[in-house]
Amino acid sequence: MAAANQDTTRPQNTRAIMSFLREHAPFSSMDDTHLAHFAEHATLRFYADGDEVLSPDDGVVKRFYVVKQGRIRGERHNEKEDRAETTFEISQGECFPLAALIGERPTRTLHRASGDTFCLSIEQNAFITLFSESESFRDFCLRGVSSLLDQVNQRIQSKAMASIGSSNSLDTPLERYALRNPIVCSPDLPVRKAVARMHENNVGSIIITDDNRHPTGIFTLRDLRTMIAEEKGPLDTPIRQVMTGNPCRLPATADAFEAAMLMAEHHFAHLCVVDEEDRLIGVVSERDLFSLQRVDLVNLARTIGTATHLRTLVSLRSDVSRLVDAMLAHGADSGQVVKIITTLNDVTVRRVLELNLKKNDPGIPFTWLTFGSEGRQEQTLLTDQDNGILFETPEGMTEDQVREKLLPFARKVNDELAECGFTLCKGNIMASNPKLCLSDREWDDWFIRFIDASTPQNLVYSSIFLDMRAVFGPTEPLHRLLEKVLQRIRKNALFQKMLAGNALQRKPPLTMFRNFRYLNDEKKHSLDLKRQGLAPFVESVRVFALAHGVEAANTLERIDALARKDIFDAKDANAWKEAYSLIQAIRMRAHQEMLDRGEKLTNYIDPDDLNPLDRRILRESFRQAQRLQQKLEVTYQL
Amino acid sequence: MLEYIKQWLARRRGGTVGEHDAANLPSPKTVGDQPLSRSRLIVLDLETTGLNASKDEVIAIGAVAIEGGVIHLNDQFDLILRRPELDIRETVLIHGIGPEALTQGYETQDALLYLLEWMNGDPILAYHSAFDQKFLEKTLKSQLGYTLPHVWMDVAELMPAFFPKATIKGRGLDDWADVFGLEISERHHAAADALVTAELALIALNKARKNDVKTLKELSEKLHYQRRLQHMHRY
Repeated sequence: MAAANQDTTRPQNTRAIMSFLREHAPFSSMDDTHLAHFAEHATLRFYADGDEVLSPDDGVVKRFYVVKQGRIRGERHNEKEDRAETTFEISQGECFPLAALIGERPTRTLHRASGDTFCLSIEQNAFITLFSESESFRDFCLRGVSSLLDQVNQRIQSKAMASIGSSNSLDTPLERYALRNPIVCSPDLPVRKAVARMHENNVGSIIITDDNRHPTGIFTLRDLRTMIAEEKGPLDTPIRQVMTGNPCRLPATADAFEAAMLMAEHHFAHLCVVDEEDRLIGVVSERDLFSLQRVDLVNLARTIGTATHLRTLVSLRSDVSRLVDAMLAHGADSGQVVKIITTLNDVTVRRVLELNLKKNDPGIPFTWLTFGSEGRQEQTLLTDQDNGILFETPEGMTEDQVREKLLPFARKVNDELAECGFTLCKGNIMASNPKLCLSDREWDDWFIRFIDASTPQNLVYSSIFLDMRAVFGPTEPLHRLLEKVLQRIRKNALFQKMLAGNALQRKPPLTMFRNFRYLNDEKKHSLDLKRQGLAPFVESVRVFALAHGVEAANTLERIDALARKDIFDAKDANAWKEAYSLIQAIRMRAHQEMLDRGEKLTNYIDPDDLNPLDRRILRESFRQAQRLQQKLEVTYQL
Repeated sequence: MLEYIKQWLARRRGGTVGEHDAANLPSPKTVGDQPLSRSRLIVLDLETTGLNASKDEVIAIGAVAIEGGVIHLNDQFDLILRRPELDIRETVLIHGIGPEALTQGYETQDALLYLLEWMNGDPILAYHSAFDQKFLEKTLKSQLGYTLPHVWMDVAELMPAFFPKATIKGRGLDDWADVFGLEISERHHAAADALVTAELALIALNKARKNDVKTLKELSEKLHYQRRLQHMHRY
């Protein structure tokens, strides 16, 4: 009787289910007719807490489920410890079991209701209908859960692309680029002569064309290198034998974005630009595209590293932001991007130090230390200064005398860094603070007190001073210091336990029911991605790293090192790295958006502003943080 | 009665919902040993012009079917009756069916015949079922002359019978929906209320299975026992 009603085309309950589905991927991108098909063919099932929903013993899976209310957990038997472990959680709006249904096999994991749970379910027939008729549904099913991550990445990329597009460069047609007159040769030319021609014209590639000027191959300096290294033949070899045939080409009407994507996809540095008749009219290199952007990493780093004035450094900061956009657009993951930001920040810090040394050298060698997120190489665009100085006291001088010389210098550097966009540290954790401009002996004493006489205040500082790195000056003194510090922490179980307790202070923002737990009443709908999302990872991982003598300060590197030492299970390590990176990615995207809107950068986001997919990923990432904290609790019996 | 229906069929006019075989309406089932896991149960909710069965009228019927312990959304009933002559000013605010929607509804007799066919004589569950039973029986009698007794069960009794310890604020449908965090897509829409009532019924049936209540008869006895228990508490 379904659609019989006249004033509303569909029954109320069908409409209600459709609007529920619309809030979740992949249904959010499906047509109404497909949603209606789902709703009209669905059954609604109830499972009380702990009820089995799907079991490997049930045989080939015949139904497709969507959680309407409650949660489903995947249960795996841990043989080592003889207990059931939760391997995944499926919450409201999520589907299961995709892989088993498509693979026409039984599920491999026991699915159990976690709390009272309602599921909408359709039979295989209805599933097949949807699968064959709805492209977005098919896409989703085939790509499974991994597609979630792809979708996030795609979205990050397209957002970044949009902001690049507004600066009107990557969507410029290729013909408007200053196409260099391409250097060409015929297929029979010996390699030696072709290379000579490249050399004369100071280019890195030569296009091989036939009589009609159709490109038939490309030969680059890289090919030359391979040819010589692998002894592919003498330099008299005709070039057609060593060229890369059928080179990538685009019409002149294509835009720079297409070119960039094609290059990124195939890892080609050069593209032929052709006319309608496939005749060569130019060559575009990766360098051409990015030099227009002025965001080439190497180039930018060089420009910063050789800047002669503070104001040049200040003006280059906006290029760093543009580079981040470009990096995200080209699919760099958040781990790469934060490292690049840190690299550029390091270059800037070094250059500020060098410029000041030129003007006013205090005459005492020192190591410029950086702490906290910069120490971990995990900086985003929102960054403040956490730095200090480590020096070796020259003979005949007291430490205070050294400080007298170094502190004014450090003050100037701190101020100039602030001008470059590194906010002054509110807690005065800066090299110009006499308490943080210390000799090797003083630092050592400082850490002894820090570790042996732990006070709650000390522990607050652990996230800063235990993630330390040298940015400028000799690194050996820091290495010696770190060795002693790590040794002491390894021996001090009490300190480890206190650190662990401290790391558990910040809980991931999830309620018992796996909803988001908001910051506080005042910021009703905001989550602090840094303190609530990233910090649980950073702090838990730090405890494990310090306890096991891992010297790296970077969280991802620490996780890797801990996995190599078998402290972390390899699968867990991957899940945690992924979860951490995804929160970081969402945070960076939020930062880019705030920049676009000209707002002050914060780490707060309202999960309601996220699309359902990101919300789901964020929730799963927070759950991984909870798991990591649980490991910490078990290890230190907290 | 059948004569009456035949006569009526001969002179009916207006919108119809399929062909009805009024002579062979399904006969109501009785409470027996039919296993709950295989029975089809109707969960029904009516919207009426008021609370007084002797003068108020049914204006919308919503129902879903539970079969095999599952709600089948392709087996539901969602009709507004065509009763333009009714004065609904008093309740229009509650159920949101305005005069316009009423005129576009179905011929009452047609709709009721359709309902009887669709229900197939299966037991009917409703929240505070006495209310719905009174209205539906009255309407069936006055419109079709139909008086066969159907099995009715009250979900408002079913819930405390299986969840005696639940802390609820009141005795309404919303109170139980709150206990289990159920959302009602559109309150006082007959079909939406029927669905949430059915969801509660699913929860109760799940519990019944675990308490070894397996047949319709056992369920009916459990409710009977619950009523006696409540009766005792009153004294």
